[in-house]
Amino acid sequence: MDKRINPGLFVLFAGGALLVSLLLQDFYLRSVLNLMAISALLASSLRFVMLMGELNFALAAFTGIGAYCAGYLNTALGVPFGVAVLSAGLVTALASAVFGAITLRAKGPYFLLIGFAFAEAVRVAYSKFDALGGTSGMIGIFPARALDDWMPFIVMSVVVLLLLAFYIAEHSDFGRILFAIRENEDVARSVGINTYLCKVVAISGACFAAGVAGGLHAFVNSVISPGDFSYLLAAFALAYVKVGGEDHFLGPIVGAILLVALSSYALGLGGDEHFLYGGAIIVAVLLMPKGVLGTLGKLRFLGNPFKRGVDANVH
Amino acid sequence: MQTLIQLGATALQIGAVYILFSLGLTLIFGVMRIVNFVHGHIFAVAALTVAYFLPSLVEGGLSAPIAYILASLAGIVAALGLGALIYLFGFRYFQRDLVGSFILSIGLVLLLDGVLLHVFGGAVRGVPEIFPGRVSIAGAQITVQRLFLCAVALVMAATLYWTLSHTKLGKALRAVSYDHEAAMMVGVPYSRIAFLGFMIASLLAAVAGVLLAPVTIVSPVIGTDYLIKGFIAVIIGGLGSVPGAILGSLFVASIETFGSYYLDSSYATLAIFGMVIIVLLFWPKGVLGRG
Repeated sequence: MDKRINPGLFVLFAGGALLVSLLLQDFYLRSVLNLMAISALLASSLRFVMLMGELNFALAAFTGIGAYCAGYLNTALGVPFGVAVLSAGLVTALASAVFGAITLRAKGPYFLLIGFAFAEAVRVAYSKFDALGGTSGMIGIFPARALDDWMPFIVMSVVVLLLLAFYIAEHSDFGRILFAIRENEDVARSVGINTYLCKVVAISGACFAAGVAGGLHAFVNSVISPGDFSYLLAAFALAYVKVGGEDHFLGPIVGAILLVALSSYALGLGGDEHFLYGGAIIVAVLLMPKGVLGTLGKLRFLGNPFKRGVDANVH
Repeated sequence: MQTLIQLGATALQIGAVYILFSLGLTLIFGVMRIVNFVHGHIFAVAALTVAYFLPSLVEGGLSAPIAYILASLAGIVAALGLGALIYLFGFRYFQRDLVGSFILSIGLVLLLDGVLLHVFGGAVRGVPEIFPGRVSIAGAQITVQRLFLCAVALVMAATLYWTLSHTKLGKALRAVSYDHEAAMMVGVPYSRIAFLGFMIASLLAAVAGVLLAPVTIVSPVIGTDYLIKGFIAVIIGGLGSVPGAILGSLFVASIETFGSYYLDSSYATLAIFGMVIIVLLFWPKGVLGRG
C-alpha cells in the first residue's frame, strides 16, 4: 500500500505514451501500440481482481462481451464509436455483476475454474447467434472516418484514464478492503465489512475496463470472431501480470509492453506466439517470482520502492 | 426406449473417459491443493504417441492388438516421463500455492501447445481399428473397442478406489489430503506422497489417452476439450472427492449425450455450464466437496 507512484512520474509516463501515440505514423507500429495499450488495460483489470485474491479467468468472456456489444451497436444500429465503447463497458460491468453475484459465493479454485468454463460457454454462445455473425464473427466495425488518424491517441487516452481510475481505486479505502479480503476474509467480515458486496463491486469495476478494452479491440481491428476470446486471452493477460510483477501497479503495464513487443518481433521471425508466452510465464514464475519490476526493485535500480512485505500467494 | 438405452450406453462410454480424467484432477488437487491445467497435455502426449507409432507398427507386419499394446506402452511411458519432468522441475516448488501453480500450469500449457504442434504437426491422425465388431446389449449397439474402453476405465477406477481405501499408500494419500501437516507429524513423507499422487494422476490421464486414441481423431489440441469437461465434473462433484469425480463425470456425460441428441451439441455445452451454475448456487464447494 505504500508503493505510491510519484505524481510527476505518472504525468511523465502518461504524457510520453500519449505523445508517442500522436507522433507515430507507421501503420504497423501504430497497431502494435494499440495492442500494447489494450493489453495493458486487460492485464491491469486482471490484477485488480487479484488484489482480493481471486483469479478472474472469466476475463476472456467479458472482453468478448464488450467487443461484441460495441460491434453490434456499431454495425447493426449505427451507434457511433464513443457511445458504443462506453455502452460496451456498461453492459459488461452489468453482466459481470450478475456473474460475480452468483459465482463469488465460491472461492479460490472454484471461482477460477467456473470463470474458465464461463469463458468457453460464452464463446460457444456467440456462434449460436446469427446476429453476431456466428462462427465467422463480425466484420466492418469502423469508427467515424474523421477519427481514423486519431485512433492510437484516443485508445491511449481511454487506457490512461482507466489505468488512473484503477490506481486511485487501489490506493483508496476500497483498495484496502480488497487487500484485507485477500489476507483474511473472515477477519474482514468480522469487523463489519460486507466482503461479498465488495467483491462483486470489484469485479464489475474491473470488468467495466475489460468491456471497454473489448470495445476498443473491436474498433481497432474492425473484425472480431469467437476465437479471439478463448481462455487464451486471460492466459496472455496473466502472462503480462506475472512477467511484469503483480505486486506493483506498473507490473501489468510493463509486462504488456515487453511481451507484446517481444511477440511482435517473434511473429516477424515466424516464431510461435504460444511458445513465447508459455516460455515467458515459466521463466517468470520459476526465476523471477516477483516479475521484472520485483527483480529490478531487488537490484535497487528504482530506489527500492517495492518494500511491502505482503506475500502475494493466497490460500 | 431403444433410443434411451442407446443414449445411456453412449453416456457411459463418454463418462468412462471423463472419470479417468477427473479422478486424476481430483487426486492432484486433494494431495497438492493445486489446479493442474497441464493434465490435458499429458493425456494428449499419450494419445499422440499411440497415433504416431501404431500405423507404422501395423505396416511393419505386427497384428493390430500387439501393435496397439506396444504403442500404448510407449505412450504411457512418454506421458509419465512428461509428468515426472513437470513435477520435478515445476510443481514441486508450488505445492499448496493455488495461484502460483496455476500460473505455472498455464505457462506449460502454452509451451506444450507449441511443442506438440511442432513435433506431431497440426494434422489430425486416424488410428486403425484395433478390436473390430460390435455387440448388442439390451438393444443398444456398442463397438467392442468402446466396450474395452469402458472395461479398462472401470478397472482403473476400482483399482484406485481400492488403493485409496486399503493400501498404506492410499491411507497416506488420504491423510495428506485431509491435513498434510498432521500427516507429516505422524511420519508420512509428504513430498514423496505428493510425487506418487501426481504420477498416479498422470498414469490415469495417459491410460485415458491410449484408450481414446483408436476411437477418436487425435490432434495436438485434443486435451483441452477433455480438460474442460473433467474440470466441470470435479466442480460439480467437489474438488478432492473421488466419488464426487465419478458422479460429476457421469452427470456431465449424460447431459452432453442427451443434450446433443435432443437439442444440439453446442446447446449441450451451454446446458452443462448452466448446471454448474445451479450446483454452485446450492453447494458452493460441489455436491460432495469438503474443506
